[in-house]
Amino acid sequence: SPSTLGRGICIITGASKGFGHTLAQQVCSLLESGSVLLLVARTGTLLQKLTEELQSSTSAQQLVVRCIEADLSTEEGVKETVRAAKQEDVKDVDHVLLINNAASLPSISHFSSFINPDEVNSYLFFNVTSALTLTAGILQAFPPRPGLRWTVVNISSAFALQALPSWVLYCTGKAAREMMFRVLAAEEPNVKVLSYSPGPMDTEMQEEICRLTGACYDLLPCQEPGAKLMKLLLDNNFISGSHIDFFDA
Amino acid sequence: MQRTWNSPLGQALCIITGASRGFGREAATQISRLVSPGSVLILVARSEDDLRTLQAELTESKAGKAGLVVRYVAADLGLMEGVESVVKASKEASSDNIEHLILINNAASLGDVSRFTREFTDMAEVNSYLSLNVSSSLCLTSSVLQAFPQRPRLQRTVVNISSLCALKPFPSWVLYCTGKAARDMMFKVLAEEEPTLRVLNYAPGPMDTHMQDEARVKTADLNVRKSFTRMAANGLLLSCEESCAKLMKLLRENTYESGAHIDVYDV
Repeated sequence: SPSTLGRGICIITGASKGFGHTLAQQVCSLLESGSVLLLVARTGTLLQKLTEELQSSTSAQQLVVRCIEADLSTEEGVKETVRAAKQEDVKDVDHVLLINNAASLPSISHFSSFINPDEVNSYLFFNVTSALTLTAGILQAFPPRPGLRWTVVNISSAFALQALPSWVLYCTGKAAREMMFRVLAAEEPNVKVLSYSPGPMDTEMQEEICRLTGACYDLLPCQEPGAKLMKLLLDNNFISGSHIDFFDA
Repeated sequence: MQRTWNSPLGQALCIITGASRGFGREAATQISRLVSPGSVLILVARSEDDLRTLQAELTESKAGKAGLVVRYVAADLGLMEGVESVVKASKEASSDNIEHLILINNAASLGDVSRFTREFTDMAEVNSYLSLNVSSSLCLTSSVLQAFPQRPRLQRTVVNISSLCALKPFPSWVLYCTGKAARDMMFKVLAEEEPTLRVLNYAPGPMDTHMQDEARVKTADLNVRKSFTRMAANGLLLSCEESCAKLMKLLRENTYESGAHIDVYDV
């Protein structure tokens, strides 16, 4: 299988920490000279730090690493990200890779506690709508065509497929994304779509889950599920629209 | 519950959303014949005129004359006030001796099927869709369950009107498929959390409704559009009556696994 992801324009959301941070580092090492890596997150300072680290550690590779501080729960944040991507010099790029990783943890409580539409909407708008509109925007910015490799990754969860008590918003959001990306896969012959479930990792999100629920798992270091995702992308054998879990053989 | 052969759903409080036309209207009509006298039917939709007409019809029907109480609430379920008004009307109309609470989450919209996923860059449009088709059914269900909590001798049934689209992606149908998949999962979580609740994801099949007309005319994907046109031309569309009768059968028999997705063609 190939050892690089080509000369790409790669966009990673939720890139300032956790899994997104790790993916940024791992993708960097697989991109060829002339590639562009755009890191998107809400928190400017962390993002800036990561961008500088990556830019200097990959200086030999001649990559462009840029950060976009954007709130993807807003129209403006999504548009700004698409605008920034369009401004990059991508004429020789042979791979567009979008990794929809940004996510938030909802209130973890009983179904019947969710009586306020504003709370539910706020969660769905960030975790579902923004992934859809960002993906659409990037597809329009770099129209798929034969000869251009186009990959969309949806960072998913086992709970996109399996109901978990007290987790209605999270399961609903992940299930929504799963179907959304399956529809995209069914529509776009020149785009490969992958829903990837990385398993429970040693991130702030997982710390929060442990604190709130007492459900504290043996956590995977982000590098492990990250490496498996990289291998899936390098091998590129997955069927577009499929769901692959870190724990799958 | 005092189920009798002619009132298999017992003394019930039934809340049906999207009751003004199509499948919701049919559900109101059919369920009115299965509940015992003194039961309450709460019809919810946005269109007050259509609701008033249906209320009058049902009040004049055999069931109405035997004592079925029919109320309507014109409400926007995307707003908390809308949800609250349904709960308020339900509490006011019902009595302490209801044996069966039935909530049918039927209200839905198709979304714009004339475009492909890559064309959905308008956040407001997608948000509005999710608010109506996902959030409102969650908030309404939660509010109703809070207002009518679990107690002995009360069976609580929650139905989600689902679709094949909850399970299978259809090109140019991203909003509808996403919304239905979200809802199926939502109600599966509810079923897992509350073992005393009866939860059913019912997919009614392709019916002869306004929504189907819209689908047939507007669908961007040629293959999907052709298959709808073919279904209509070959008389393969179900009437709301046929499909609803299957739902009523499931409710009457009450043997479905809570949280299951059941398609009209499975019954």
